[in-house]
Amino acid sequence: MEEKTIVSIHNLVKRYGDVLALDHLDLEIKRGEIYGLLGPNGSGKTTAINCLLALLGYDKGSIRVFGENMEPDSYESKRRIGVVMQNVAVFEELTVRENIDYFCSLYVKDKKRRRQLVEEAVRFTGLEDHLKKYPKKLSGGLLRRLNIACGIAHRPELILMDEPTVAVDPQSRNHILEGIKKLNEQGSTIIYTSHYMEEVEKICTRISIMDRGRILATGTKEELKAMIGTGETITVETGGMTGEQVEEVRLLPGVVSADCQEGVLRVQCTQGAGNLTGLLHRLEEADIPFGRVWSQPPTLNDVFLEITGKRLRDRKEEEEG
Amino acid sequence: MGTYLKYRFLTLVREKSFMFWALAFPLILAVLFYVSFGNPAGDGMGEKMQSVPAGVVVTEENPPFSAFLEALDGDVIEIKEYEDSQEAFAALREGDVTGVFTVKEEPELTVDGSGLAQSILGELMEGYEQQAYLLARAAKDHPEGVERAAAAALEASEESGVREVSLGGRTTNTGVQYFFALIAFSCLSGAYLGIKTCCDGQANLSALGARRSVSPMHKLKGILADFAVLILLHYANVLVLTGFIWLVLGVDLGSSPGWVLLVDLAGTLIGVGIGILTGSISRFSFSIKMGLCVCATLFPSFLAGLMFGNMKYVIETRCPVLNRINPAAVLSDAFYCLAVYEDYDRLLEDMAILGGMSILCILLAFAAVRREQYDSI
Repeated sequence: MEEKTIVSIHNLVKRYGDVLALDHLDLEIKRGEIYGLLGPNGSGKTTAINCLLALLGYDKGSIRVFGENMEPDSYESKRRIGVVMQNVAVFEELTVRENIDYFCSLYVKDKKRRRQLVEEAVRFTGLEDHLKKYPKKLSGGLLRRLNIACGIAHRPELILMDEPTVAVDPQSRNHILEGIKKLNEQGSTIIYTSHYMEEVEKICTRISIMDRGRILATGTKEELKAMIGTGETITVETGGMTGEQVEEVRLLPGVVSADCQEGVLRVQCTQGAGNLTGLLHRLEEADIPFGRVWSQPPTLNDVFLEITGKRLRDRKEEEEG
Repeated sequence: MGTYLKYRFLTLVREKSFMFWALAFPLILAVLFYVSFGNPAGDGMGEKMQSVPAGVVVTEENPPFSAFLEALDGDVIEIKEYEDSQEAFAALREGDVTGVFTVKEEPELTVDGSGLAQSILGELMEGYEQQAYLLARAAKDHPEGVERAAAAALEASEESGVREVSLGGRTTNTGVQYFFALIAFSCLSGAYLGIKTCCDGQANLSALGARRSVSPMHKLKGILADFAVLILLHYANVLVLTGFIWLVLGVDLGSSPGWVLLVDLAGTLIGVGIGILTGSISRFSFSIKMGLCVCATLFPSFLAGLMFGNMKYVIETRCPVLNRINPAAVLSDAFYCLAVYEDYDRLLEDMAILGGMSILCILLAFAAVRREQYDSI
């Protein structure tokens, strides 16, 4: 194994009865990465994290962390790992400061050093004004920040963050995402699981797309987007189009698909120059009036859609669900 | 480690519901016992019982029954003889006597109302009837031995009024036993604290458990630290209870207060140990573990006679080994050693058994969680 590789998962299989939760999973994570595991709910992200932490047993495969097999009693490896659980994991009976100090004390014995680390974690998560409060007095966003502070206070080399922004207000979410970038800049390697594609796209240096316990694609966001046929998506506000007119657009060179709903024409094109001018020229020829026009590069949602044939649940659906 | 111990202590002390059951509830029970039974050292049930006044009317000769009543007179009962039934029943109605024994071939007891005194008379009557039945059978099957059997029965009747005296010369005081049983119950209720602490560290029961499970703290170290905190905390609870019973309620717990405190400690060790072992069984949910804990404390307590006095004796005659391995029985035996037998060798033996059991519980708990992985979380 290369020295730069921090986590190596090979051929990992995990079953829950008849359900195959992890299907021959392979992962390799290098030092200094913010590695995103992107997938819908139930795709196996949390199961993979729990196996990696030696919490869950598995049926087949191997997991190595810091070059050592990861076992329940791999205490030295655990000392170098920080975990931010999906569910808030703090003591209700301890104050904010006591919680951070308690979890830090499991990793750092030296009192002076620990005091300094706790101060840093408090500042990092912006909890200075809430130190004496008990968790039940905190808002959802502050509680999530406390959850993060408890997981990272000991300055771990590897941080596993399992959907840390679920049910968090936008302000706290931005605070958390900026914090993750800072942690990475300070030297921590981060594994970040989420089903929010925009978060993963914003902070991760490398991404794996997961579905049904399998890794479907891995790469930087640019690499992932280059894997699919769609190079750009052009959107045009029109006064309305007939099915025949849409079909004519679909037949233009470089067009992968075209769809018009409520007067908004959405055209997916392959990469290459001239897609936009060709489309607008065609609309003028057909005497179709149009207003605003814009072009977007493909998103991770497009990547997921093209690879799996289905969309990732977006935030709106999640909140409504 | 100091920080860990401090915060574990705080999490437990600040958990109000658990502290209620571990500390406040036994105190409340102690007060209720005191209110219900009175001070065993004072005027309550521990005091020598007064004889029950009973009327006797002879309508037919029945020498064995007359001899039986005569044997009890002056100790358990105080006999007032009446010429005829009318006179006796009038005395009963007026409350001069608690019951009227009618001496005839098949003797009868008449009482007016219910209560402890009436129950005592009823028990005496029932005891006689059983003996009479046995004697009748003996006379029929073995006429040659009936005289000896009658003598033995009479002797037994006379002994029924004898007060039990401990080997150390201390009076067996049933009232004090209730308070010892309460202290034993309080010791064993440390098991609930043990379960709560263990469940805080189990990944399949909470996110908090998952976070603690992925920490680098060695599992045995974690269990021992939790055990130490729980012992400290629960021993304090038990001491508060013991002190309350002793100093506030004024119940005399014996002449060896130091030994009582040591037995408290041994009881706390086994109570917490049982809780940690039960809590470490990962396959069950918190509520199932609590259910198991109730079984693991109440059932042995029942077998040890903490709820029904004769049970321990029944076990001793049928399956004595159970009394040696039942922690509640060993604990109650330790208290008996103090209060009744004043046998310190046996007390030390009991404490060694409890200490050994506690260590065994901790080792089994460690074996259960040492390399614990879950099937699902």
